[in-house]
Amino acid sequence: MSHGPSDKCEPNLIPLLDLVLQLVMFFMVCANFVMEQVNETIKLPSALAARPIEPNVTDIIFLNVNQEGTVLLSGLDVRGKNKDDNALRNPVQVQNYMKQRFEELKRKVGGDADKARKTSLIIRADKQAPFEKVYGVMSACQKAGFENCQLRAIIQ
Amino acid sequence: MVSKHRATTDFVEPDLPITPMLDMSFQLMAFFIFTFRPAPTEGQIAMSLPKQEGGESTSIPNPTDEKPEAFVVRIEAAANGTIAKMSLTKKDDVDARPIDLGADVKAFHKELQSRYTEVKGDKTKAKVTLEIQDNLLHEYVVQLLDHAKRAGFTNIAPVPLDKKR
Repeated sequence: MSHGPSDKCEPNLIPLLDLVLQLVMFFMVCANFVMEQVNETIKLPSALAARPIEPNVTDIIFLNVNQEGTVLLSGLDVRGKNKDDNALRNPVQVQNYMKQRFEELKRKVGGDADKARKTSLIIRADKQAPFEKVYGVMSACQKAGFENCQLRAIIQ
Repeated sequence: MVSKHRATTDFVEPDLPITPMLDMSFQLMAFFIFTFRPAPTEGQIAMSLPKQEGGESTSIPNPTDEKPEAFVVRIEAAANGTIAKMSLTKKDDVDARPIDLGADVKAFHKELQSRYTEVKGDKTKAKVTLEIQDNLLHEYVVQLLDHAKRAGFTNIAPVPLDKKR
């Protein structure tokens, strides 16, 4: 019995590879989207009236406040200091740190204190933190010069 | 004439092995799928910060200017940090008696909503001050801010119950 010429049948894997690489890229980009200033250990409260950050807002400072009321600084914020010293445990420390940030911002915007004052300050406080501690942080930030303070919550 | 061209050879199609690359891509994809945890959508609730002690003096109010309406909600906390009792009063109204709202956040929302609809003049200037006991958990503070916002108020200021602190 005779057969015709034996053509090798190979599936075209290139479109599949393209698709898989695109998926890999998507996941890589999403993984990098985790903001470095945000602390994942903080459990946020939820709210219906919470609104996402407006796209035109560029200068934002995040403050992560844990259950004990300690302000946890991220690696970005510590900048040159000892890595272990990334926690501000009382309002005086918070005020000093925020004053430093305020002066840096002021320098960045060419000495305009009003502009620096309008910087969005987002407090990411743990839902189990007592009001006294969160208020202490807010008050310290205000004393340091900031006016625009917002509380972070998960949008329901 | 002798041809300067080299003798033609059979064209050999380069064989690029796709399968190992595909295997690697699948492995990478599997890794990212398993480690992928989408972050919950976060948003902000704006609020008014407490007035600074000895801060800048404000402009002298004109007596003919209408004073914006302000309400004060006193929130007492239970030992476990939950809401124990709430009461609402209208600021600068000497005859007003505090309205007891109990520990019900829905009653708080309803009362604020009805107050907001009754506000005369510029509603955006109407203010709610939340006098909160120190040990109230942040979760409930945000819940109250959320309800006050949804009731229509934009100017909400959380302050400690014991202001002398």
